[in-house]
Amino acid sequence: MAEKWHPDFERLVDEHQSMVFSLAWRMTGDRGLAEEVAQDVFLELDRHMSRIESPEHAMFWLRRVAMNRSADALRRRRVRGVDLWVEIEENHGTPAEDRSSPLSARLEQLLSTLPEAQRAALVLRYQEDLSPEEIAATVEAPVATVKSNLQRGLKLLRSKASTQLKEYIRGL
Amino acid sequence: MDFERPGQTGETGQPEQIDEFERELRQAMERRPAPPSLKRRILQQRSTRRTDRVQSYTVWWQRLAASVLLAGVIAGGYGWRRVEDRRKGEEAAQQVMTALRITNRALSDMNRRLVARNRADQQARQE
Repeated sequence: MAEKWHPDFERLVDEHQSMVFSLAWRMTGDRGLAEEVAQDVFLELDRHMSRIESPEHAMFWLRRVAMNRSADALRRRRVRGVDLWVEIEENHGTPAEDRSSPLSARLEQLLSTLPEAQRAALVLRYQEDLSPEEIAATVEAPVATVKSNLQRGLKLLRSKASTQLKEYIRGL
Repeated sequence: MDFERPGQTGETGQPEQIDEFERELRQAMERRPAPPSLKRRILQQRSTRRTDRVQSYTVWWQRLAASVLLAGVIAGGYGWRRVEDRRKGEEAAQQVMTALRITNRALSDMNRRLVARNRADQQARQE
């Protein structure tokens, strides 16, 4: 029988903080909110440590909870009446030191204008390199829905990019 | 659109076709480094929550202990009162019994005197 895995909380934070923070930031579009979400996710992990069975399970669990908490944070904002899209665009327009290139910045900005489900699918696909089946398991949706969201999201993003980022990308 | 990962082959065995746009998207979507203070804040909050949890457990146990003590005092008081009531009842019954005994003795005494007196009266009449 395999030996039981004993997770080390600090090590899990070290290993996955970048992933959780990036998912939360790309889903909420707000750095401050993403930090809050990431904190909540890891504190929840701390409460559920006894149920985590393996490193893979920890990663899967963190991705799923990060996506759920980000969606909750967006919902709370909507309830509070904050104009999210204006805010996302404002937040994505700032700090220049976080950007790898102007094109990346513009692409992320365009991504933030996509509907939530499509954005989630694309973020998990292109940031986390997950297959549609893995995305479906993470967001708890049917694989067909995920594939559709990926196709539609990519198509929408491509069409937005073709009008707004033509100077950057060849082969659009 | 092909959903296979880069460098892999699809179900048809054809190499994946990822265009420039998807490559740029993948590049744009690289993980961002978390703020250096994030881990420190997480560990700090974790420690604060644990302390709060321990404190709340302590308070909970203190309340439970106080409740048990209070319940014990009330139950003890109630029990003591019942015992005391019974003792007083028995004492009152003893007093009544004593009074009855005294009354009984006095009546017997009186009865004895009356009998003696009747006997004396009868003897006097016969003489």
